[in-house]
Amino acid sequence: MSSEDSERGSQSDDGERSTADVVSDAVYDNRWRLFGVVATLLGFVFVAALLTDVPLTKLVDIEFWLGLPYGDVFTVGFAERALQAAMPIALAAIGGLYAEKSGVFNIGLEGFMIFGAVNAAAVSWILAGGSASQLDLWIALVATVLLGLIYTAVFAVLTIRYKADQIVAGLAVWFLGLGFGPFTAVVMWGGVSSPPLSSLDTVTVPVLAEIPVLGRLLFDANPLLWVTIAIVLASYVVLYRTRYGYWIQAAGENPEALDTAGVSVRRVRYAAVMFSGAVAALAGGMLSIGIGNGFTGTGTTMVDGRGWIAIVAYLFGNYNPILTALASLLFGAAQMLRIQLGTIGVDLPSSLLEQFPYVTVIVVLTLVGATRVPSAVGESYESEE
Amino acid sequence: MSSTDTTPAASDDASGDGTDAGGDDSLGRRALARLVDASIFERLGIAVASTLLALLIGLVVVAAAGYDPVLFIDNMVYGIFGTYSVADLFGTNNRLAQTLRPTVTFIITGVAVAIAFRAGVFNIGVQGQFVVGGFAAAATIVSIAGSLPGGAAGGAMVIVVATIAAIAAGGLYAMLPGILKAYAGANEIITTIMLNFVASGVVFWLLDAYFRPGGTFFVRTERFPEHVSFPQPIFEGTSFSVVGLAIALLTAGLVFWIMERTRFGYDLVTSGHQADAASYSGVDAKRTIVATMTFSGMVAGLAGAVYVIMVLSYFSDPATLPTFGFDAIAVSLLAANNPLGVIPAGLLFGGLESGGNFVNQSSDVPRQLIDGVVGLVVLFVAAPELFRMAGKRMDVGGDEQ
Amino acid sequence: MSGTDTDDAGAEGSSTTGEGSSYAAQLSGISKRFGDVVANDDVNLDLERGSVHALLGENGSGKTTLMNVLYGLYEQDEGTVRVDGQVRDFDSPRDAIDAGVGMIHQHFQLVEPMTVLQNVILGTEPTRGGLVDEDAARADVEEICERYGFDVDEELDTPVRELDLGAQQHVEIVKSLYRGAEILVLDEPTAVLTPQEVDGLFEVMAELTASGRSLIFITHKLGEAMEAADEITVLRDGHAVGTVSANAASREELAELMVGREVLFDADDRTTEPGDPVLTIEDLQVIGDRGRPTVRGVDCQIREGEILGVAGVEGNGQSELAESIVGLRSVADGTVTYEGTDITDASRRSLIQDGIAYIPEDRQSEGLVLDYDLERNALLGNQTVEPFVRRGVVDWDAVGDHAESIVEEYDVEPHDTGAMAESLSGGNQQKFVVGREFEHDPRAIVAAHPTRGVDIGSIEFIHDRLREMRDEGLAVLLVSSKLEEIQQLSDRIAVMYEGEFVDVVDPGAVTEQDLGLLMTGNELDDGSEPDSGTTHGNGGDDQ
Repeated sequence: MSSEDSERGSQSDDGERSTADVVSDAVYDNRWRLFGVVATLLGFVFVAALLTDVPLTKLVDIEFWLGLPYGDVFTVGFAERALQAAMPIALAAIGGLYAEKSGVFNIGLEGFMIFGAVNAAAVSWILAGGSASQLDLWIALVATVLLGLIYTAVFAVLTIRYKADQIVAGLAVWFLGLGFGPFTAVVMWGGVSSPPLSSLDTVTVPVLAEIPVLGRLLFDANPLLWVTIAIVLASYVVLYRTRYGYWIQAAGENPEALDTAGVSVRRVRYAAVMFSGAVAALAGGMLSIGIGNGFTGTGTTMVDGRGWIAIVAYLFGNYNPILTALASLLFGAAQMLRIQLGTIGVDLPSSLLEQFPYVTVIVVLTLVGATRVPSAVGESYESEE
Repeated sequence: MSSTDTTPAASDDASGDGTDAGGDDSLGRRALARLVDASIFERLGIAVASTLLALLIGLVVVAAAGYDPVLFIDNMVYGIFGTYSVADLFGTNNRLAQTLRPTVTFIITGVAVAIAFRAGVFNIGVQGQFVVGGFAAAATIVSIAGSLPGGAAGGAMVIVVATIAAIAAGGLYAMLPGILKAYAGANEIITTIMLNFVASGVVFWLLDAYFRPGGTFFVRTERFPEHVSFPQPIFEGTSFSVVGLAIALLTAGLVFWIMERTRFGYDLVTSGHQADAASYSGVDAKRTIVATMTFSGMVAGLAGAVYVIMVLSYFSDPATLPTFGFDAIAVSLLAANNPLGVIPAGLLFGGLESGGNFVNQSSDVPRQLIDGVVGLVVLFVAAPELFRMAGKRMDVGGDEQ
Repeated sequence: MSGTDTDDAGAEGSSTTGEGSSYAAQLSGISKRFGDVVANDDVNLDLERGSVHALLGENGSGKTTLMNVLYGLYEQDEGTVRVDGQVRDFDSPRDAIDAGVGMIHQHFQLVEPMTVLQNVILGTEPTRGGLVDEDAARADVEEICERYGFDVDEELDTPVRELDLGAQQHVEIVKSLYRGAEILVLDEPTAVLTPQEVDGLFEVMAELTASGRSLIFITHKLGEAMEAADEITVLRDGHAVGTVSANAASREELAELMVGREVLFDADDRTTEPGDPVLTIEDLQVIGDRGRPTVRGVDCQIREGEILGVAGVEGNGQSELAESIVGLRSVADGTVTYEGTDITDASRRSLIQDGIAYIPEDRQSEGLVLDYDLERNALLGNQTVEPFVRRGVVDWDAVGDHAESIVEEYDVEPHDTGAMAESLSGGNQQKFVVGREFEHDPRAIVAAHPTRGVDIGSIEFIHDRLREMRDEGLAVLLVSSKLEEIQQLSDRIAVMYEGEFVDVVDPGAVTEQDLGLLMTGNELDDGSEPDSGTTHGNGGDDQ
């Protein structure tokens, strides 16, 4: 840490800051976040060592660490799976951060994702049964987004116009999803899960896909990956480069300042909340027909806490869409590490390894507990007339 | 611009040029304060209106999905009471037991939620604490029952030890997010939800690795010995016991007494109402958060013990357990977070549960509908303003605000 | 009254630039009531174009209400508002902004994490190809900064949060100018500034008027009004009690106008002499909410049978001083000793048990739980006191009796312990709080603004009780922004300014004007006062 400190102290000669400075500042500002991830990893390694009878003394042995088959764990396939796992989290997180930036804590992301997942599956089933074409699937995804807009419009009216308690209403959305999601499935298919459905095909971009590693990750991929990347980049630009982004920030920080500047706080908040619902619905649809093959409604449904992880992802990403996407990637990788360890023969109980993302979330949240939440979140705003 | 005069309460505004309310309250506190900021009648009205509206929407959904709503109501009523006549209610019918059985768990978990919400702390982790508590009880029972004498006395002894273990486990498991919130500022909503997942996974692993009897396929403990169960003077053979109901009612009563009649309760409730006033009166805010979470988790752990002893008689994969801990949030909110109010609210949810199950068996209306209705209840309880405005529009709500 | 004839001229010529009226704004006969409370009563104010007009008065005298009328936040009950000679009726701040009125609120309307530039252009962002054209905006803003000598153009890309308050204020002013404000209302602009920053502000104000803009400067510091304003209108209890030219006025005259002379302070017939020190405070330093030191080395003793009054303009560290003594705010440095024991880091609860009573500044958020009835409120702060609580169990009968006796003895209306605290009037709420604090046998009392927002009858009552307590041998620390209260009750008066006691004086030896001068950061002319209090000029070397 001390080397970073000293590096931080050295200012560049002219006003321009070098990339190295920017990076080192970012590292310094996020040192607790990084520390959290590393600490959680070490914790799991420790537990893993206990469970696999690896002598603990080996853990302090450099040779042991150097000798591990990293190449077998961190493969291109792993990166691919991690990207896929990260996509729905990132999308929902972008939605959540927009809503929260505007002053509405959309804690119902998980519920909106469940609705998205079941709606997408249902629409594709209505269109073409189990053998939907690629076009049918895209239509189903668009329909899912539109339905998501309608659902969140109701949520927005309740929280903004009727000043519903944002936290309780958000929990209610989750419960609604847990109930009506599987309910819809039973009505459609007679069970809480759908039969296998078709999903989007991988699209290979000629030539570009030939690029080593990156080509396979980015240009021989599920097209929703491009949609996700586009949404992440666009939401970054909108938030920090357009007047709407300014208004969203002001609505969440000091609505009065926005109001006295002649902009309707309500409208800004409606727009942001509805956007959050639309992308959360897309994230859900992505799970059921974009990547996966149908809807699963058992237990906590196939969404399985991704909406909650999304909330932590944007807190971890400090409300910055790009950092949020990277945080989602981290959580996606955490989810996929289990499979990867299995392939190299490390036989750890999967029920424990599955906890890695959740525990990471708790540790991260504890260490960044001081994340600055927009100051007006949770308060309904009434302009003075 | 309304032509009516400002209320006298506004007189203070004129005297202080800059008396803003110190915006130091946490998000949850403000929100909860608004929820409880209503007269008892208004609260009752909101609870009833929310439930009715939710049920009505449920019926509309039933009809829209192509089922017969009249048959649905008929099945629900029969499912809850097992009879259409009051005289038969306590006869040899088992359906009432089916209603009272989940009621017990709803009441205890509802009380657990109410404790936290009353103090302005959002414990969404009651489900996890319930799981951990239930597991602790089951693990205790299968570990010690064999080495203690059998019979009623031995059974009672095992039950007492197991219950204490469950209360301790639930309390400790809730204390963790309490500490993280008080001393590190980690949002308790998210940490408790994450801990729900973790509880489920870790308990599954423990069951799988250490408590699964050799050779069995299912991940569950062995069945408890016969003598480790609550006595059943009525409703024999139904996995409902009046002892369980008595524990639930006593818990609600005891927590009510603690809130109303003890310093701890006063400190806790005052923190939830007005954090600044609590600090002014000498309450240590951080310690109160930890104590509140622990207390809430202890009650959730108790719910787990009662559930496994009365209903399951073994412990299995937590993912297959009903989500009492989440429904409990609805129960508590419906009761305006009052431990005594949790009793009728728990009964209502017990009725919905058993009615829903019956509907599921006797018709093809999926029981998940009930979960959706629960969500609607919570949604409407969250927005009292909705009913206030509706009341005003219908000119029911008197002439004063 | 020249106002009326120029008025007509203004109405004719106002369609151009309004140059016809020599007044940028005129408020005539403004009255504004909130319920029974009259905040403004027939107030007139004429703002000469290109001048600074100070609105001087104590807290609660109606200054901000008057300006909120001008800014479209309140609608007046009577009277007219003219801007550029035209009668205007603003429905919202937006209308006022469009008419060229800008207001710099005491609480800045800034979005803290956003940059200076973004804040300035918020709501009027120039765009280009869908994106905000920050370069165009930057040029405009830099031009404004250059013209008026603001240095925030160096910081345009810095988040506002990182600026000090003086710079944030400049951002607010630039924001108003960017939106085209011709009339600027500055509400207590110096309240949050250091002396150096105040000097900078005054320079900016001079620049603004030199360019033809007109300023209303709300303040309660008469020295500042005299220094920065051309004309001064004094408000007292919602009335405009006089308008004077800043050149012609004397400090004494203004202080008299501000404070009024109708309250003659009654000779205090004290029966006892102060005894041993109960509370000893040494070099106390406290950090305020904004992370700045707000109490900066206070030393004093409060003795048995003595009321030490702390006078001062609000926001000079009095609140933090009181809170740190009673255990509600942590002490950065220094010690507090109570009856020989060091209580610097003691918990609030242990101090209550030790007998330190506290009448809080804000009875509605601290002193009472508003949706508890009086019986439940009677337990607040008494949770560790027998017989109300024994071994952790509350004896509500005992608490109820106690509530009854408070209601009885302190004449709280209604005489009903089942009444909700929020249903009581301010005076009755306060009497209940005072009664509750006095009734658990304290040995020291810290009273913060004990009569704020309280009716006359209750004020007398509370004052009498405080004297009784003093006569019974208690040590009382009284914080108040009401000068007459301090003078009537105190045995010694400490004047607090910018976190320090600038002087400790004998109430008999000083006039209200003297106190007013001390409170506003001036020194007394002669050195006759007994204490060697640190003097505080506007010199540049005090940090």
